[in-house]
Amino acid sequence: MNPILADIYSTVIPSAPFIIAAYAIVWVALLVYVAIVVRGLKRTEAQMAVLEEAVRAKAGE
Amino acid sequence: MSDKKVKVPEAGQWPDNLVVPAVLAGAVLTTAGFLMAFLMVGPVNGAALSSPELVGDVMVTNQQLLSQKIFYFHMPVAIVSFVALVFAAYYGIRFLMGRQQRFDTCSRVAMEIALLFVVFTMVTGDLWTRFEWGVWWTWEPRLTTYLILMLIVIAYFVLRNAVDDPERRAVFSGVISIIALVDVPICFMITRLIPSSVHPVVAREGGMAPDMVAAVMIIMAGMMLVAFGLYRLRFRQARLDERVQALKDQLEDY
Repeated sequence: MNPILADIYSTVIPSAPFIIAAYAIVWVALLVYVAIVVRGLKRTEAQMAVLEEAVRAKAGE
Repeated sequence: MSDKKVKVPEAGQWPDNLVVPAVLAGAVLTTAGFLMAFLMVGPVNGAALSSPELVGDVMVTNQQLLSQKIFYFHMPVAIVSFVALVFAAYYGIRFLMGRQQRFDTCSRVAMEIALLFVVFTMVTGDLWTRFEWGVWWTWEPRLTTYLILMLIVIAYFVLRNAVDDPERRAVFSGVISIIALVDVPICFMITRLIPSSVHPVVAREGGMAPDMVAAVMIIMAGMMLVAFGLYRLRFRQARLDERVQALKDQLEDY
């Protein structure tokens, strides 16, 4: 390879994994966080429905 | 003296209607900014080449620092972390003023979002440092003050888990959120007080070309919208958790 071109690309190719990692970590972590919150929200909503039913039943006794 | 009713934030209020549009708009804007940063904004010049070289139809005279592209996410997530900390401290102060538990919940959720974005800032910054300098860490002024900020935010959650009494826990948390806020301007201003080559004052010194500024602003707007959506979503879950706990207590009382 032309040594000048090799000099140009010497800072481009080796940096690619770091750049990809930086962007991928942010995007994946955001998606994981959203998934965790939505899952927790659904679980809590299900608990809520069961508990409301139980409270109504107790109050009616 | 009038008994003025304090309006407290609640899940299901109008901002919740904006969660899905905000997250979607945030995803679109961050992706657009990302594509702009890589496809439209030229790389930053590094060391001069021994002789110019024609690459495609461009005369290249310097090494091309592709690693600088990390900056397009790094700076916006750092700013979002600062904004989240401002909100955490605001709600912390509101709690300390009126002792309304709801404000403590708001402060905790904002602090959680702040922690997420603080970690993003540290990770993206460290990846750049590792490539450019060959080290994972250096005791540079902004890195050091930002590390202190991250430790304060982590300490906030450690403390919350260590104190059982809700009132005391909320008071301590409110105070720590204010301490974290105090570190925000220090982090922001430190490069102005102690100049550093790693964190140049690009905005003031005109170190960014207009297309770079545009890409950063688009990603920052996107990240702000994503953070807002995450905050409201997490707040809704936290409020539901509190209501579940209240129902459990009510059942035990029967």
